[in-house]
Amino acid sequence: MKEHIIELLSSALPMVNLESDFLFSELDSLGVTTILMLLSEEYGIELEAKDATPKNLKTIDSIVRMVEEKLEKKA
Amino acid sequence: MLNLEEQVKLFSEQTPDKPAVICQGRTLSYSALWQAVREKAGSLKADGLTDGQPYVFMTTQDESFIVTYLAVHLCGAIAVPLEASTPVERQQQIRDELNGPNTLASFNGNEMVNGQRSMVNGKWSNDKCSDILYTTGTTGKAKGVMISARTWSANAENLIDRLGFTSEQLFIICGPLNHLGSLSKIYPTLMTGGTLYLMQSLKDLGAFFSVFELPFTKFATFLVPSSIRMLLQFAPNELAAVASKIDFIETGAAAISQSDMELLCQTLPHSRLFNTYASTETGIVCSYEFSKYGCVPGLLGKPMKHSSVRIDRDGRVICSGQTLMSGYAGAPELTAQVLINGEIHTSDIGTLDADGMLHLQGRQDDVINVGGYKVNPLEVEDAVSGFEPIADCICIPARHILLGTVPKLLYVPKQGKDVKPKDIADFLKGRLENYKIPLLYEVVDAIKRTYNGKLDRKAYK
Repeated sequence: MKEHIIELLSSALPMVNLESDFLFSELDSLGVTTILMLLSEEYGIELEAKDATPKNLKTIDSIVRMVEEKLEKKA
Repeated sequence: MLNLEEQVKLFSEQTPDKPAVICQGRTLSYSALWQAVREKAGSLKADGLTDGQPYVFMTTQDESFIVTYLAVHLCGAIAVPLEASTPVERQQQIRDELNGPNTLASFNGNEMVNGQRSMVNGKWSNDKCSDILYTTGTTGKAKGVMISARTWSANAENLIDRLGFTSEQLFIICGPLNHLGSLSKIYPTLMTGGTLYLMQSLKDLGAFFSVFELPFTKFATFLVPSSIRMLLQFAPNELAAVASKIDFIETGAAAISQSDMELLCQTLPHSRLFNTYASTETGIVCSYEFSKYGCVPGLLGKPMKHSSVRIDRDGRVICSGQTLMSGYAGAPELTAQVLINGEIHTSDIGTLDADGMLHLQGRQDDVINVGGYKVNPLEVEDAVSGFEPIADCICIPARHILLGTVPKLLYVPKQGKDVKPKDIADFLKGRLENYKIPLLYEVVDAIKRTYNGKLDRKAYK
């Protein structure tokens, strides 16, 4: 899943270093929204403003965790 | 009307404990703000800043920006706030340009090209250049727009009169402070004794909504259409929950869709919602309260008290009045192309209806409007041309689900080269401001050109 998310996000956000340990600080509001939008569409999960926290978007691993948790809740 | 610094000084005496600026839990009262401004002005002077000299500084979204900005003015100098992501080379280029002899002479208000001049108590003081804001804007090239204190005051009066700024308001700024959309709100807020709340951006929506827990009765903000789309899509319930606290929201800088206007009206049934026509060159010209008069895309309303609008034979929007720029720093020829007989000739195409309301239909030039930021495709193509593995390219506008329009790069890699979008974006970082870097990329076999070898932009429209 991690590789797929990286591939998905890197094509939409080419200027963002997705491997960064401080991913949230690299993002602008467009970047945050793009991530929420793409992941909600790709995985059929509901992502809201309250999910876009610095903690959830800190690294690509924390993003993967967020998606996994949403998928678990959905199931 | 007093200028901004005089007004802040006055409030520091009349309402010294009133919060002037709040940022990340820190509060500067009017008296603390004025004291910080005086101290900063003292240190700037001690460092050699003199009357009429440009002072280039990077934009930070915090109280130190406000302090520096006001302090530079207090020194009689010119504030030149740059976009936070401005490449270092470009920063130096701007410093060199501004300190050139030709440019320095143009800051003297009396040498304005085709501008309108008037005396105030026998002095020119409020007419001389107080700010230079860098923008792509009307000409499609990055240029320093000179703005006087008088112009700022006229912009502030336009906003106070049409939008209704008051001393009870907390105005949330979540856009870049070197951009007219946000910077212009410092003036009406602090000139009416209100309070500014500064945020880095809207990316932390939780932080945005937590502002509404502060003990203020009226909240207001400026949001570009893409930010409104973001709130409506990802935080409709949170937005509805604070609806009763929102006095007004102003949007502008890019087109907002009718469906988003309608949805915003439904979500905030008691708030005043405005769509404003403004640019760095023209100042703040028209605004339309779509929550009161109906959601019509492209309708920007009547000109404000210090502004006038007419449409020329080609359908271009021509603006006049007290809010116009003084000219482009160090570029009198360029200034003369757009500032003619006291009028700014924009690249916007529009009409005036029977009630004198402005309807905007688009732009005449190739400039790409990205959520309010203007991107000149030539500048992008020029930067990409320095990337060795690419043989040819063109930058075109493309639709984006959130932003409306974004720059897209069509490119032809050199034979045998595998060029990924990220390679190009990484190359452009440090050469262009972030908002100019294309978001979308596509490899093509060839770039269409006209018979004489120029890029055939029309073929991509």
